[in-house]
Amino acid sequence: MDDLAANLRLLAWLSPAFPTGGFAYSHGLEWAVEQREIHDANTLFAWLADVLRHGTGRSDAILLRHAHHAHACLDTLAEITELALATSASRERRAEAVGQGNAFAAATRPWNDTMLRNLAARVGDIPYAVAVGALAGHAGIAQDFAAAGLLQAFAANLISAAVRLVPLGQTAGLSVLARLEPVLAAVATETRTATLDDLGGCCFRSDLAAMRHETQYTRLFRS
Amino acid sequence: MLTYQRARGELVVTLKSRDGTTVLDDLRQDGCMKARFPRPVDWMEVTTLNASGGVAGGDRLSTSLRVRSGARTTFTAQAAERFYRALPGDPPATVRTRILVEGAAEWLPQESILFDRCAFDRRLEVDVAPGAWFLGLETLVFGRTAMGEVVHHARLRDTIRIRQGGRLTLHDAIRMEGPVAETMARPATGNGAAAIATIILVAPDAAAHLDQLRDALAGHQAGVSAWDGMLVARIVAQDGACIRAAIVAGLPALRDGRALPRVWNC
Repeated sequence: MDDLAANLRLLAWLSPAFPTGGFAYSHGLEWAVEQREIHDANTLFAWLADVLRHGTGRSDAILLRHAHHAHACLDTLAEITELALATSASRERRAEAVGQGNAFAAATRPWNDTMLRNLAARVGDIPYAVAVGALAGHAGIAQDFAAAGLLQAFAANLISAAVRLVPLGQTAGLSVLARLEPVLAAVATETRTATLDDLGGCCFRSDLAAMRHETQYTRLFRS
Repeated sequence: MLTYQRARGELVVTLKSRDGTTVLDDLRQDGCMKARFPRPVDWMEVTTLNASGGVAGGDRLSTSLRVRSGARTTFTAQAAERFYRALPGDPPATVRTRILVEGAAEWLPQESILFDRCAFDRRLEVDVAPGAWFLGLETLVFGRTAMGEVVHHARLRDTIRIRQGGRLTLHDAIRMEGPVAETMARPATGNGAAAIATIILVAPDAAAHLDQLRDALAGHQAGVSAWDGMLVARIVAQDGACIRAAIVAGLPALRDGRALPRVWNC
């Protein structure tokens, strides 16, 4: 497949306009903002850098890479899916991964109507990182580009949540995205050779935020 | 070249129910891993101990436990496990615990105390049969802060995997490599915390304990959530004493008022 056409697909699939419902999830940021842990561009940058390096960002990049590699093997994809679901740190985290993954599978049908549907028929719910990885592999999108793209989309989505919650100006939010570039690139690179045994991290307080969000009194977000 | 002797240990314990009493069904002890049993009672407390006195780089410890249908058992450890400094070329110590739960089982070891430059890969694998009951706890303490200890560097993987009826429902992996103290100082990781605990309840009514456990842990830095047949709590604390206080506050909410294992008070 022509590289340019393949890359265009990824840009479409990871665009904020793509109907995965990502805007509804804050990954626990809503709690961290209420606690004033995140209150400006600097505290947002530090928190997101941790989540990317030591938390969901890194784990999702590993899962995406393995799903990408296994795109032609339904058995392996089913195993990766089970593992990916089991890595969720809380009820809302599970819903965040599955809600976006299932929506992604449905919304990408114009590009491919069988691949993710077969996987869904086999496993039921598909977490987002696995759905993107498997379809990117199937569509001939370079694995590095897909991993870096997923990380960037994840960061941009959380920044957009923080811009609304803190609130932050657009420019402040974009400056955080710009500052995160080396982190995104580093995580994408580091995960190249990671095995599934390398999943895991230490974003304990981000996980607490996700758990505590469940009982937060005023909630704009689902996670 | 100088090589150090590595500790090896293997422990296999199976418990079954006989006339409403939990009794020993099978026991194998090899190397440094041992177990101690009280007289058979309704809810048996089995105490494991590592006779090597702590875990060093390259050690290999394996424990395999099975609690058959109708049996009810609390596994605990005689002392806090210590993970000592590993030599630079050492492979990580491997600690494997596998628990097959067909009755009711609790895995309530004491804290794992980490020393600077420790290296280990620990895995707790629990298979819970449909309708069975499991309560598990793992605690990591990064240095005895009261004694001025700091874990600057470490290589560690601490993984808990839960299967329910054969299906993997939890893969909780703590992974830290390199400058641990620096990493734990960051906002979304530990914010300077030096102790982490994870409590997991797998039971048909696990979610029903959500509010109780949340209330019990209210004064602590903790989160509780329930999904997919499990209740999971994570606690973050300043030091070993604070994390123990949180655990002692939280566990009774899940244990029908039973007293904590006796060795915990020694």
